[in-house]
Amino acid sequence: MDSLITAAALALAAGDPLGALDRVALREDAPALALRGIAMAQLGDFDRAKLLLRRAARAFSPKEAVARARCVVAEAEIALVSRDLGWPAKALDAARTTLEKHGDRLNAAHAGHLKVRRLLLIGRLDEAEHVLAGLDPTPLPPAARAAHELAVAGIAMRRLRTRPARAALEWARNAARQAGIPGLMAEVATASLALETPAARLITHGTERPLLLEEVEALQASTALVVDAFRYAVRAGDRTVSLASRPVLFSLARALAEAWPGDVSREELVARAFGGKHADESHRARLRVEIGRLRVELAALADISATKRGFTLAPRQARAVMVLARPIEERHAAVLALLADGEAWSSSALALALGTGQRSVQRALEPLAEAGKVQSFGHGRARRWMTPPVAGFTTTLLLPAPLPSS
Amino acid sequence: MKHSPAEILREYGPFPGVERIHGVSFDGENVWFASGDRLNAFDPQSGQPLRSIDVAAHAGTAYDGRYFYQLADDRIQKIDPDTGAVLSTIPAPGGGRDSGLTWAEGTLWVGQYRERKIHQIDPETGKILRSIESSRFVTGVTWVDGELWHGTWEGDESDLRRVDPKTGKLLERLDMPAGMTVSGLESDGGDRLYCGSTSTGVVRAVRRPK
Repeated sequence: MDSLITAAALALAAGDPLGALDRVALREDAPALALRGIAMAQLGDFDRAKLLLRRAARAFSPKEAVARARCVVAEAEIALVSRDLGWPAKALDAARTTLEKHGDRLNAAHAGHLKVRRLLLIGRLDEAEHVLAGLDPTPLPPAARAAHELAVAGIAMRRLRTRPARAALEWARNAARQAGIPGLMAEVATASLALETPAARLITHGTERPLLLEEVEALQASTALVVDAFRYAVRAGDRTVSLASRPVLFSLARALAEAWPGDVSREELVARAFGGKHADESHRARLRVEIGRLRVELAALADISATKRGFTLAPRQARAVMVLARPIEERHAAVLALLADGEAWSSSALALALGTGQRSVQRALEPLAEAGKVQSFGHGRARRWMTPPVAGFTTTLLLPAPLPSS
Repeated sequence: MKHSPAEILREYGPFPGVERIHGVSFDGENVWFASGDRLNAFDPQSGQPLRSIDVAAHAGTAYDGRYFYQLADDRIQKIDPDTGAVLSTIPAPGGGRDSGLTWAEGTLWVGQYRERKIHQIDPETGKILRSIESSRFVTGVTWVDGELWHGTWEGDESDLRRVDPKTGKLLERLDMPAGMTVSGLESDGGDRLYCGSTSTGVVRAVRRPK
């Protein structure tokens, strides 16, 4: 490596991206382009960083496969941080394979963690877990170790396993402290907060109270009939009926469960399920049809009996009925929940993560923006959405050094 | 051209606080190496670290029998080994793209890494006296017994090669094992060549063929 590149790399490692840029600002050779790319990423100019890294990857010779692969990994990390989730995941896989083949285990692991974080963001837990299981955290330096444990904790929390989540967060906290990176420590603190703030609401007998993640986990073991508004499912014991693709049936089930052991009037059921203000004859007919369908779906778990003014739920074995709901319910809670990570999201990334269309995400974002709950910056495809206040881009950019063997 | 695998005699280090070696030199007794923000000495017999000088040390290192010459940023610093003071600086011929450095008969020889060149320069002014070309990226350079050797590092491959100092023609080549990359090269005046590693922070002694 040449003198100025070494000096610039040392400046970068010491957290001085401007010092690094100073040294290689006018250079167009591959290592200089890569260093400039990483410096720009650390300064938050992701668009320029991406272009520089792409040019660097092209400028390294085909023989310099490791340097090229590191540029690809760095670009993938920038894509992840800027929530460009449509970035080609295949390129990251290929880079990871190259790094593994050439013995760069550290950056190969880094590539693996980026893959896991992307899968976590778009809710593909099984795949994320599978990739993570193939990564051995023991030889990793502190910063990479912290990223690994954050991913472990992220999966455990989404899987409602609070004890392993706590253990992983403890590891992550120690590793982040050892690494001495403030952004990383802040990210661990934010993740830990999720265990101490209500993760859900429990509605039973017409009253409700907030639940910590731990209590939600405990609920899994209860024998109650639970109407789960997270998964759009009804379960009792180990039997689960998914109503994810039948929103009308789910809202009926939920209305019945909330009122249990009391009944719910036809008017109210019509209002909740169909959004109609008055239940006319056609509504009543439709309600009978839908209740019939729900009865079939829930047959193994509960019966639905007609009462004088409406319907009531009669669980078969369960002694109690409860509803598990999101902590804050508003129309666009799912969008807000994603934005709550403090990062800037594109509407296409939100759509990808929610498994819905970009247009419907945009329909959700507009009223939220009018209500001051979210804000956007940038225009066109570069437009990004955040929840205010903008606390800067909290990222754990641990970009791999793009230089051969450095 | 003679061509054989490099015979590695010994490995020194890794040394505490040293991640990478950027340049290697020999003062007649001890081996010195540049590690970013300092120059470090160790005893080649025992392998024990001796002392260090806090000075910017980003690439090649040379010793003229009295002073050290050290590449840092885009300059070559002349350093007093006793006090560590930078006595003077000259511009490096590659403007910071320089890698190896060695002293021979009153002039300095400087490798220019990705440009695959070696320049002979005036140590007072930095003026380029002569340039020769190599076919691969140049990392370290050293003179011994009238032989000019340089280290190469391109992709994953490194070798040590002896070239004709007038034409740059390749005369002899010692291949380093796969994955062992070379930065910094120095001879001990005898049958040993010392070269730095870029990935593990060790210095290796390689037998110089007779």
